[in-house]
Amino acid sequence: MSNYLGNYSLYIALIASVYLIFKSYLDANSENKYLDKNFILITSIQTIMITVSFFSLVAAFVISDFSNETVFNNSHTLKPLFYKVSGTWGNHEGSLLLWLLVLSIFLFIFLLNSRSQDTKYKLLTILFQQIIISGFLVFILLTSNPFKTLYPIPTEGLGLNPILQDPALAIHPPILYLGYVGTSIIFSASLASMISGNIGDKWARHIKKWVLVSWVFLTIGILLGSIWAYYELGWGGFWFWDPVENVSLMPWFCLTALLHTVIVLQKRNSFKEWTIILSITTFSLSMSGTFLVRSGILNSIHTFANDPSRGLYILSFLFILILMSILIFFFNQNKISNTAKENFILSKETAILVNNWFMMFFLSVVLVGTIYPIFLEVLNGSKISVGPPFYHKLLIPFLIPFLISMSFGPSLKWIKDKLKKFNYNILIIFFVSLLISYVILTKTENSFLLSLPLIVLSIYLLLVTIKDFFVSKSSISQKISHFGFSLLITSILLNGLFSNEFNSNMKVGDERIFNEKVLKLKEVNVTDVDNYKSLKASFEVTNKNSAFALYPEVRIYQQPLTITSEADIKTTLFSDNFLVFNILKDDGYYNVRYQYKPLMIWIWISTIFISLGGLLSVIRKNEQKY
Amino acid sequence: MPKIIKLVFLLYFCFNFSYAKGINTKVEQITKNLRCLICQGQSVYDSQSDFAISMKLVVKNMIDEGKKEKEIYDYLKSKYGEWIVYEPELNQNTFLLWLLPLILFIFGGLLIIRKVSIK
Repeated sequence: MSNYLGNYSLYIALIASVYLIFKSYLDANSENKYLDKNFILITSIQTIMITVSFFSLVAAFVISDFSNETVFNNSHTLKPLFYKVSGTWGNHEGSLLLWLLVLSIFLFIFLLNSRSQDTKYKLLTILFQQIIISGFLVFILLTSNPFKTLYPIPTEGLGLNPILQDPALAIHPPILYLGYVGTSIIFSASLASMISGNIGDKWARHIKKWVLVSWVFLTIGILLGSIWAYYELGWGGFWFWDPVENVSLMPWFCLTALLHTVIVLQKRNSFKEWTIILSITTFSLSMSGTFLVRSGILNSIHTFANDPSRGLYILSFLFILILMSILIFFFNQNKISNTAKENFILSKETAILVNNWFMMFFLSVVLVGTIYPIFLEVLNGSKISVGPPFYHKLLIPFLIPFLISMSFGPSLKWIKDKLKKFNYNILIIFFVSLLISYVILTKTENSFLLSLPLIVLSIYLLLVTIKDFFVSKSSISQKISHFGFSLLITSILLNGLFSNEFNSNMKVGDERIFNEKVLKLKEVNVTDVDNYKSLKASFEVTNKNSAFALYPEVRIYQQPLTITSEADIKTTLFSDNFLVFNILKDDGYYNVRYQYKPLMIWIWISTIFISLGGLLSVIRKNEQKY
Repeated sequence: MPKIIKLVFLLYFCFNFSYAKGINTKVEQITKNLRCLICQGQSVYDSQSDFAISMKLVVKNMIDEGKKEKEIYDYLKSKYGEWIVYEPELNQNTFLLWLLPLILFIFGGLLIIRKVSIK
C-alpha cells in the first residue's frame, strides 16, 4: 500500500515539475507584473506529494514492510524504532528521497519569503530550481526507486550496518543535506538574478539569509559527522581526511568565502561576478559531493551504496547544470551593471578578498587531494593514496599568514582605512600570547621552532577576538563566529601537540604503567542485549592523585555479522580519556588502546560557537549598521 | 614580484613538516602513514586486521634491523605499490598533485594585486 502511494506521488510531483518548468519559462518571457497564483498552488502540491512519498517510506520502515526492497535491504524487525526511522535515509534510495524533499521544501519557503522580489527573478528561480528537482525525480524513478516491491514477501530484513546505528549519525545526513540543498537555492537565485539583471545590494540582502542558513546547517552537519567518527569508529581522531569528509568540507570553504563576499556586495555593491561564480561553484561542489559519495568511486567506509550507473547519471546531470550555468554566465555578463569601485589596500574589501584567497586555496588543496587519485588511476592505472600527511603539509604552513590576516582584517574600515598610530594594546596582546605559548611549549618534547609560530598566532588571534567583544563595532554574530574559529584552531593545535596514547595487549587482571599512569583491566562481562552480544570491559586508570573507571565495549551483531568497538570516553573540560579495546585471536588477550586527548571538548564547543554566530545573524531582524 | 614568490616557497619549505605529533615510537609514526590494504579507509596503525597486525610486525622488525624510515617505505612500496603510503612522493605522476594548489595560490595572489590599488 505505502509502496504505491509513495511511488505514484513521485510521478505526480514529476508532472508538477514539468508543468512549472514550462509555465515559468513562458511567463518569464512575457512581461507579467505579478506571479501567477498557480505557482504557489502547484509548488505546494508538489511539496505535499514529495512529503507524502517520503513519509510512506518512513512508514514502511516503521512497520517493517519487507515487501519494499529498500526496507528489506536496510531494516530488521529487531532494530529499535529510532533506528528504523533513521534507516529511511541511512541508504542510497532513501537519502536521495530526503534530498528531494528538502529541495522542494526550500523552494516553497523561498516563494513565501520573497514576495517583495521582482517577478521575473522569482520565475527564473523557480525555473532553475525545478530543473534540479525534475533531475532528481527522474534519477530516483529511473535508477534508485525506493519503492521497488518484492514477491514473495520476505519475513525478515537484512538489517542495517550497526556502525550506522548511532544517534549522531542518524541526524547527521538530514542536517548536512539541509546545508547542501540550501546551496541549490543560492545557485538558482544567482542565475536568475544574473538574467533578470537585479544583482546588487538589495539582492545581496535577500540571498544572504539563504547563504547563512546553508552555512549553519553545513557546519553543524560536518560537526555531527566528526563527533560520530570520534566516538564510533574507535580510532580516537575527529578528522581523517577521508574523501567523504573532504566532500563535505569543500562546499564549506566555498560557502564561507561566499558568506564574506555577499557582505561586500550588500555594503559596497561590488564583487558581483565573483559572487555569482562562488554561488555556482558552491552548488557544483555540493552536487559532486553527492556524486562522489553515491557512485562508490571513493574507496571509503562511508560508501554503503555502490552503483556505477547511478554515478554516471549524476555526473551527466551535474555536467549539464554546470554547462548551463557557464553559458548563462557568459551570455548575461553584460547585464551586470558595472558598479565596481576602486579597492584600496587597507580596507575591509581587500581583507575579504584575502579571506577568499585563502578559502580558495584550502578548497583547492582538498579538491586536488580528493580527486587527483581518481584521475590518475583512470589515466595511467597507478594507484596512489592521499592521506593526512599531504593535507597537513600543504595546509598548515598557510595557516600562519591566514591567522595573521584574520587578526586585523575584521577591524579594517570599508573603502579606505589609514595606518593608525601604533596600537600598544596589540603589542601587549602579542607579548602575552608569546608568553603563554612559551609556557605551553616547554611542556612538550616536540620540536619547538616549528610549532611556535602557529601556537603564538592562534593564541594571539584568540585574545584579539576576545578583545573585539569589548572594543570592536562589528556585529555580534561576526564576533562570535570569529571567536569560535580561533578557539577551534587553538584547540586543534594544542590537542595535536599534547595528545598521547598507549597501546598494549592485555588479559583480565593485567596492569600496565605508562606516563605516570596505571591502567588495569579488571574484568570483562559477556551479556546478550537486544540484537547483539556485548563484551563490556572494566578498566581502572590510576593517576598520581586520582583514579577513574572506564567501560569500553565490544559488540557482536548477528544481522549482518559485524563486530564493533564502542569506546568509553571520560570527558572533562580539560581533556578526554579515550579507551577502546578489541578481541584478539589469542585466547584471553585483548588489544587495548588508551588515548589522552586534551581540549577535545573545545573542538566541538568552538564549532558550535562558529555556527551560533551564523544563526544569530539569520534570526536578527534589524541589522546593525556599521 | 619574484621576491614574493621566493618568499612563499621559502616559507613553504621552512614549514614543510609532518604534523604527526604525540607519536612516541617510530613504529607508530610509520604505521600511521600506511594504508591497511584490506580495510576501508583505515591506517595500519588503527586497524586490528590480520594484515595490519603482520604489517606492524614487519615494520617493527625492520626498525630493529636498523633500517631508516625511507628504506622501510621504499621496501613496502616495491612490495605493495604506491597505494600503501598515505603521503605520495613527489614524482612525475604526482607533481601536479603537490604543485597545483600552490600554483592556484600564486595565481589568486596575482589577481588580488591587480584588483587592489596600492595608495
